[in-house]
Amino acid sequence: MSARPAADLQALTAQLSSLPGVRTGRELFAQRPAFPVSEVLGPLFARGGLPQGEIVQFTGPHALSLALASVARATREQHWAAAVGVGEPAVASVADFGVDLERFISLRTPGEDWLRVVSILVETFDIVIARPAFAPSAAQRARLAAKVRERRMTLISLGPFAGAAEQIATEPGQWTGTSAGWGRLRRCAVTATHPRTGAHRLLLPADTGAAEAVVRAV
Amino acid sequence: MSLGLGPAEPVIALSANRVVACTAAARAAGVEVGLNKRAARTRCPAARALPRDTEAEHREFAAGIGVLEGLIARFTLMAPGTVALPAAALARTCPDEEAAVEAVLTALTDATGWEVFAGLADSAFAALLAARTATRVPPGQTPDYLAGQPIAALTEADADFAEFASLCRRLGLDRLGDLAALPGGDVYARFGAVGARAHRLASGLSDRLPVDHVRARDFSARTVVEPASTRSDVLSFSARQAAAALFAQVRAAGLVCAQATIALTAATGDVSARTWRLEAMEETQLADRARWQAEGWLASGAVGAAQPDPGDAPAELAEDGIAAIEIVAAELLEPLAAQHNLFDAQTGEVGRTLERLQGLFGADAVLVPGLQGGREPAETNLWTPWRQAPHPERDPDAPWPGELPSPRPTLVEHTPVDLLDARGHTVIARPSGLDSEPALLAIPEAGSVPVIDYSSSWPVEAMWWEPEYRQYRVRLQVVTAAGEALLLAKEQGQWAITGRWA
Repeated sequence: MSARPAADLQALTAQLSSLPGVRTGRELFAQRPAFPVSEVLGPLFARGGLPQGEIVQFTGPHALSLALASVARATREQHWAAAVGVGEPAVASVADFGVDLERFISLRTPGEDWLRVVSILVETFDIVIARPAFAPSAAQRARLAAKVRERRMTLISLGPFAGAAEQIATEPGQWTGTSAGWGRLRRCAVTATHPRTGAHRLLLPADTGAAEAVVRAV
Repeated sequence: MSLGLGPAEPVIALSANRVVACTAAARAAGVEVGLNKRAARTRCPAARALPRDTEAEHREFAAGIGVLEGLIARFTLMAPGTVALPAAALARTCPDEEAAVEAVLTALTDATGWEVFAGLADSAFAALLAARTATRVPPGQTPDYLAGQPIAALTEADADFAEFASLCRRLGLDRLGDLAALPGGDVYARFGAVGARAHRLASGLSDRLPVDHVRARDFSARTVVEPASTRSDVLSFSARQAAAALFAQVRAAGLVCAQATIALTAATGDVSARTWRLEAMEETQLADRARWQAEGWLASGAVGAAQPDPGDAPAELAEDGIAAIEIVAAELLEPLAAQHNLFDAQTGEVGRTLERLQGLFGADAVLVPGLQGGREPAETNLWTPWRQAPHPERDPDAPWPGELPSPRPTLVEHTPVDLLDARGHTVIARPSGLDSEPALLAIPEAGSVPVIDYSSSWPVEAMWWEPEYRQYRVRLQVVTAAGEALLLAKEQGQWAITGRWA
């Protein structure tokens, strides 16, 4: 956050602490901890990991891969993650991304109920990956954001979510390994862009099925 | 045997490239259980190698063993290929042990044509080990017999002992006798229930654990909601009354209720019954579950025709509401067994959330991931509803030739599509490759997208030995002009998207 005169800051602190879900203004300004992500993805996030108490938006064709790669480290550190409305994930690839399968739940619920499901999951889960089937109204967004902030969890929206704290866009990647009837898909070089941390080149997935950094421009 | 092979032919059964069983002819040629395929082939080139089929093992064995029913009153099927008989059951009909064994072996061999080994000992586990060498362990000498056996013999009783046996070996406990010599209490303190069971087996005691599941009589409580209601506060209050009545009965019997079945009866006569696990015997917990169940049931009725199973909850249900709540204790335990393990992960909160979602959307809506054997993500995916034991259909440890290598698709789907070449004809796939170059992928209701690159095609032929289940398909990875990578499969002349990298 940008620096402000002290008097302004105090007034702002008082104003913020009256908001529901914010205990004190200082809490909002303090660097809240983030759920750890792998070294490769760390530089992509403004706080070096999935920000706790915030809604994060991943867009573009590789959003699901990026989300699975981002939650992997947290699930291995005993945090629970759930996926809502993403379809049927392939368990083998979920495991390849490094996700601890014992801490991962997939929900097959009707699309029109996604907001209801997410609002129940927010209570106890540390990370929820959701593909919004419809855009929530401003009031619903505000309530959800307040709940996410209060529970200090991270909600990853695979698709546009107005008011998301961090917005990461993926562009169509470049697949290598095939050549008109020969070989097989080996890796995909993807550019992920964050308005604050800039553009990052990633292999999503790399040969092993996990996310890796691009060693050399392909 | 179903494959038309005689007992005199050398046959080996393989699982994950290891011999798991062999016939006498193969054994005579030097084949042993545990050898790999190549070694077995070297020793007995004439042997026919067959993959292990556990389904068939169970089926054949259960059918073949039926002959014993006319002979003995009580016997236990331990696993395919193993049956345990209490010697006392034969004492009345046979003059001595020898005659009894002979009678059983003759009956089994006559009826099935299998070769059967018998072992006699004081415990079922010792008898199982003795049967490998067709030995009779004299009464009272079972502990001595077991003491000389290697610790790895524990895996004969249960494959789950493999890890424990390996640990024991590293601790210097090479023989079962070394383990049996340790104080039982210490083994339990160090290794928990697995160690305690292994210690019992190694000491020659019976494997049967104390019965910890008590169900002497049914406990149930019922309250009538008058008038019938859909309001959750009213239902919650009635459920609480029923729960209090049930728990009073259970407590009076000195037991703990670990699972309860809640049956809601609608005014129309429909019943919704669901079994819930309880963390603690609290009336609020049970009342909450009854409320979730009622909400889910009523909500599914209100949506009406959009529901997959409209017969479950008719639309008029919402008007009449629920008329009665009955709670039955589904699982009763002695108080100590219901205690939480200190070392279990703290899943209580998460569990409650997921159970609530299951109440609203059905048990199948909340899925836990798992892996099983298979060649493609659609086959290896094993999604199990929360709190249910997974049942893999295919062995994950077996080799799966033609398995899809990493990186694998992130999403599984099945969308029939058409893959066209430059002239607009469907691309034909043969074992040797594709007949023409794919140029366009036509997806029904989503338009067409040009194909800019594709992999080599690779065929999969599975279950060719069983014409009924025979599968043949060709798989292909394509990259579309939109930069999307897809896994396609052609089966019975129809291309389909089976996986997507998203």
